Amino acid sequence: MISTVIGVVTLVYLFAGLLFVGAALWQQERLNRAACFLLFCGLAAHLGAFAGRWVQSYQLASRHAPPEAFTATLRLVVLQVPLSNFFESLVFFSLALPSLGLLSFRRHLRDFLGAMVALLACLILAYASLGADASIKPLMPALKSNWLLIHVLTAFLGYAAFGLAFGAALLYLWQARPTPVASRRAASAVLHDLDRLIYQAVAIGFIFLTLGILTGAVWADQAWGRYWSWDPKETWSLITWFIYAGLLHARLVKGWAGLVKGWAGKRIAWLAVLGFLAVLFTYFGVSFLLSGLHSYLT
Amino acid sequence: MPPLFSDLTSRLWRNLTSIRLTVILLLVLALVATVGTVVPQGEPVARYLARFGPGMGGFLVRIGLHHIYRSPWFLLPVALLTLNLLACLFRGLPQALRRVARPLTWETAQSLPERGRFSLPPGSDPTPRVLKALRREVGRPRVASPNPNRIVFLVERGRFRPLGPYIIHLSLLLILVGGLVSLFCSVEGRLLLLEGESARSFVLSDRSERPLGFEVRLDDFTVRFYEQGIPAEFRSDLTFFQNGREVAKAACRVNYPVTFGGLTFYQSSYGTRLDGPLTLKVCQGQDCHVLKAPLRQVLTLPDGKAQLIPVRVASNLHGLGPAVQVAVKSGPGHPKVFWVSRNHPELADRAGTPFYQPGPRRVLLEDLPFKFYSVFQVRRDPGVWWVYSGFLLSLPGLCLAFLLPPQRWAVVLTQKPDGRWEGRLLGASPRARETFTAKTNRLLARLKQKL
Repeated sequence: MISTVIGVVTLVYLFAGLLFVGAALWQQERLNRAACFLLFCGLAAHLGAFAGRWVQSYQLASRHAPPEAFTATLRLVVLQVPLSNFFESLVFFSLALPSLGLLSFRRHLRDFLGAMVALLACLILAYASLGADASIKPLMPALKSNWLLIHVLTAFLGYAAFGLAFGAALLYLWQARPTPVASRRAASAVLHDLDRLIYQAVAIGFIFLTLGILTGAVWADQAWGRYWSWDPKETWSLITWFIYAGLLHARLVKGWAGLVKGWAGKRIAWLAVLGFLAVLFTYFGVSFLLSGLHSYLT
Repeated sequence: MPPLFSDLTSRLWRNLTSIRLTVILLLVLALVATVGTVVPQGEPVARYLARFGPGMGGFLVRIGLHHIYRSPWFLLPVALLTLNLLACLFRGLPQALRRVARPLTWETAQSLPERGRFSLPPGSDPTPRVLKALRREVGRPRVASPNPNRIVFLVERGRFRPLGPYIIHLSLLLILVGGLVSLFCSVEGRLLLLEGESARSFVLSDRSERPLGFEVRLDDFTVRFYEQGIPAEFRSDLTFFQNGREVAKAACRVNYPVTFGGLTFYQSSYGTRLDGPLTLKVCQGQDCHVLKAPLRQVLTLPDGKAQLIPVRVASNLHGLGPAVQVAVKSGPGHPKVFWVSRNHPELADRAGTPFYQPGPRRVLLEDLPFKFYSVFQVRRDPGVWWVYSGFLLSLPGLCLAFLLPPQRWAVVLTQKPDGRWEGRLLGASPRARETFTAKTNRLLARLKQKL
């Protein structure tokens, strides 16, 4: 049932993405609205699937060890949040992307940027249903912690915001390619908008990534007896953090001889692209290429 | 001071406090950490030679890339970044504090740019109306009346925003200090306890022993499994003794460490050790013999025709419970090797499994005297509190820096000679223009509304 819903949601996202592309190509505001509506419907179904999986995994766990008191039930509900394996994290990643887009960047969610968000979500969700094991497995002892929910939630909200910044950065780099002088003025307004969007999305992502790293450190301190052990996942999340911290500071750099106001534009966009590549490596690369304490993801 | 020297120091100061240096250092640190994940860390030197070849491996070790996070490659940029942080704090914090200390007043509000005008009819008191509009759209105002025919409403949000970045930087410094304290003042080691065993000392990472200062005993170790054979819980029941007297009991589980006498015990791993010989039953038809078989010792079977060696034991093989791997040699040819499960003797007939026993003879496992041992990470780390306080401090810092942009509004009402009130809306928010403009437009519409 849930896998069917996820399959349908994948298609809805794909269709919404195509509508956004159509809206951009034919300059049709109506198509943008339709795409937004479709994305919203897909998101609602997606949220339903997420909740359904939560219920399912709670039921499985409570069959194994039925909770007695109310607090025990509550604890089991928190523990059974479907964020404990690769499939579930992919589903949540693709859930976070359009929700962040619709909640925080509603105004920007149109044309090609809307298409980026919808298609990226579609791609991740398709990968989840085709390339990851969807079975619900009971929680291993290391994951039985109240920190699971908040740690994974913040980390993936951060990833989603960085994904949005990445989409905006790609658009920026495309728009900023050398063009005839005539269209340059129109492009510069768009570029200014995109530049602000990159910054805002990175700022949100940075908050969440920082929270993700901090909660992870607290959890590691309780579970492994060390708040930081240079595990590849930790190190790569720190590398990602360094890159985005660099980006946020780069905007404040005074240009040569005070002539230019800060790094803006292309260099920031490239940093946002680089940062998202680091995010992807933190997420996929570390799980598949480097072994470490986070290897229970696969 | 000679001019050249002062020139040099001022240039050094400028470079040290420059944000360009911050960006460069952050990117350098990202690069160094990347190298740290490509080159495995903290392994024996021979591994590097084997993996990267003698030339390259030796070079990596010589320049310290095998302990990169303790080498100058990493520590130097971190030290520079710390200096950069401190310099920025010293340079910027006083200014930020001064800015925060000056709230929006009528004098400072006068320099805000004008965003719109409106007028209110004579007769009625305009104050409640403006108050209501402001409260709805932007927040609770302060009201001032510099002279009888003028009323000023001031709203300021995000006044403490300038402190945000400095609070984040302070929290980073706290975390760095915590890291240093951990590096130099923490004690970290391991403790292996068999069930029923007690210890007065633990083993540090350099293999030296260190007294605990008390005695700890592992009363019981239990592993709970789910139906699928996946472990559900590891639990060590510990008893602590001081001067031979029992003082405390505690259960140590993964994610739930136990602290006693300033040391924290973390459930790290576990295992089983055989405690005495195993008991096997060898049957040929109805003719059965019970044998005591020590591990890895050759045993001649009672019929004298075959020899048996218990090769190794497993406390839980494939989630099917305890099992022993035996090699049986009868006559010439290779010995037959198979597993014997205690809980599932019927598997011996299942061809194609590791439990399959060819031939008429059946080996059964009667008893496997296993004892669990539990391994604990033992630690005392005074740096943790610095790090945690850094974490806590970073939360308001992040909120201030990114979520609460400064926004200022002022509504100035002036009474004209005909009794009409003329209103001017002033305001600015350099960091959040979009939300500011939206709010300001809504506010202006509300102020202009006809009664």
